[in-house]
Amino acid sequence: MNFALSEEQEFFKKIIADTVDKMIVPKAQEIDEKDEFPWDLWREFTGLGYIGLRYPEEVGGMNADKVMCMTFYEEIARGSVGFAQSVIMNILMGTYFVYRFGSEAIKERCLLPAMRGEKVATMCFTEDQSGSDLGATRTTAVKDGDGWRINGTKMWITNGPICDFCTVLATNDPSKGLKGLNFFLVEKGTPGFSSGQVLNKLGCRGTVTGELVFDNVWVPNENFLGAELGKGVFYVGDILDEVRLMTGAMALGIARGAYAEAMEFAKKRVAFGQPIGNFQLIREKFAEMDTLMNAARLMVYYGAWLLEEGLDCRVLAAEAKMYATEVCCKVVDELTRIYGANAFAYEYSPQRYFRDARFLLYGGGTHEVLRDFIGRTLIGKL
Amino acid sequence: MNIIVFIKQVADTEARIFIKNDQKSLEIENKFNMNFFDEFAMEAAIKTKEKFKDSQVTVCTYGPKRAIEALRTAIAMGADRAFLIDNTGFETEDSLIVAKILSAFAKKEGFGLILCGRQAIDDENANVGAMVAEMLGIPHASAVINFEVVNEKTVKIDNEIEGGKESAEVQLPALFTTQKGLNTPRVPLITGVMKAMKAVIPTVDPTTLGLAKEDIDLNASGIETVSLESPKQRPPVKIIDGESPEEKVRNLIRVLKEEAKAL
Repeated sequence: MNFALSEEQEFFKKIIADTVDKMIVPKAQEIDEKDEFPWDLWREFTGLGYIGLRYPEEVGGMNADKVMCMTFYEEIARGSVGFAQSVIMNILMGTYFVYRFGSEAIKERCLLPAMRGEKVATMCFTEDQSGSDLGATRTTAVKDGDGWRINGTKMWITNGPICDFCTVLATNDPSKGLKGLNFFLVEKGTPGFSSGQVLNKLGCRGTVTGELVFDNVWVPNENFLGAELGKGVFYVGDILDEVRLMTGAMALGIARGAYAEAMEFAKKRVAFGQPIGNFQLIREKFAEMDTLMNAARLMVYYGAWLLEEGLDCRVLAAEAKMYATEVCCKVVDELTRIYGANAFAYEYSPQRYFRDARFLLYGGGTHEVLRDFIGRTLIGKL
Repeated sequence: MNIIVFIKQVADTEARIFIKNDQKSLEIENKFNMNFFDEFAMEAAIKTKEKFKDSQVTVCTYGPKRAIEALRTAIAMGADRAFLIDNTGFETEDSLIVAKILSAFAKKEGFGLILCGRQAIDDENANVGAMVAEMLGIPHASAVINFEVVNEKTVKIDNEIEGGKESAEVQLPALFTTQKGLNTPRVPLITGVMKAMKAVIPTVDPTTLGLAKEDIDLNASGIETVSLESPKQRPPVKIIDGESPEEKVRNLIRVLKEEAKAL
């Protein structure tokens, strides 16, 4: 067994941590308070080239391994989850199908500008009545001449209202359930494609999340993103483990940020004539938090290693996402207790961590759905 | 023009540092960075290279193997080459020995310009830059806050002096130490990060630089650490009590007069 990062991975971790500390951490509170997409930071950060993290060097990417990707997701979420969501959407889900199935012209038009941060990408799964239950997708794609006509409404779309293109999940045959699902590329400016309600979220503020409307949107055959009709759900499976591990890594990032705030406070805050870190009940909280975070870290990075090696990690990825997120919720809760009443005030940062952590409970699959999946997979068909 | 930047890897300002039981050495948490002031030197070197395209930036440190990470950071920022002069077995607190080694390296490599931070933030000696310039017999200006290479012969600088600044023209080759405010060190692009990750950084044995071993080994140091002490703990915060704001202010004034002797 070798748990060590390579020298290159260690270096990457340090560089990205420094970059986050310099560029993102100082703006985190402002991003949260304004709840507006931070375009200046977006241009500055994406200009560094990190959107191409996962993609090969031939297309201008970094070809980072999965451990490095998790390191990146963890660090950027430590800085600002609101900003991290938008960036990671461009890096991972928003460009995945365009890279995998897009024609050269589509890659030139969408993928490359997205990797430079010049275009904002997103992916649309969720609808008002379906999220984890993909089989209930009601958005339809009907063959029409040399293309497809798409109708439906998507909800909870990260980057949705500001996106330049999206990969939309639609069914070409609702009677087939999961086997009728397919992905299509829809670009901004296509007649019938518009954004609707922008959600006023509890946390992850700064990311623009909302509704996308597809009203008789026609796209050419080229925009069908897949090798074969009806295989959309299988393609989702190819990226799902990475998405779940990514969510776990983001949870670790929030937890680390919260833990650091708690540590600083416990060392400085004086009560009864001494720093509160001297009190046993406060020390116990740090022992608990550190133990839980270490366990979560082992799961997330073990999952990343399995993924990199091409080994099965479906159950572990679900477990890691679930566990790391629960740990994150526990750590942010402890931060608010250590901080005392000030944690209840918007002027201080603990409430931001507390609100941000909640989103990860739903993104990447609710824990109820994940528990059911894990149990079902472990027990098997009886 | 070969631009040499000397850097040092130092403990992160947030790293936990303990004095070991021998009272002469430190145990430092594994968190290290490029010295704060060296980042300005790196940025100035890269900007100069951008202006004079045929220049190359060579970065070098005298330190332990872990300092390769700081060299990689320099490459990510834009340095062309990096060298680690491995100090394993030659660790020293004596700036003079460090300066001898770095100046020997500069002589061997050749240079038109040398830059380094005005001081390291760990020992805060601010010795090495000036010593290297002296050993190389070249001009030196410290705490530079404006820096412009006019041509391959001349540099215009402003540097901090007590209560003001001094402007000067310096003939190259010369050595400059850099001060906060000179520039904003760049955040590395992903292309730089990738280059740095792949870079093979040569390790130089200090005994191959033409110096006598006895001049740089552990016995050569003219400085011996007798003991290390932590700074005194600050007294705890005192909360001024009182029934009313007026009484709290009265109590505060009394404490400032009688206990703190500040009034």
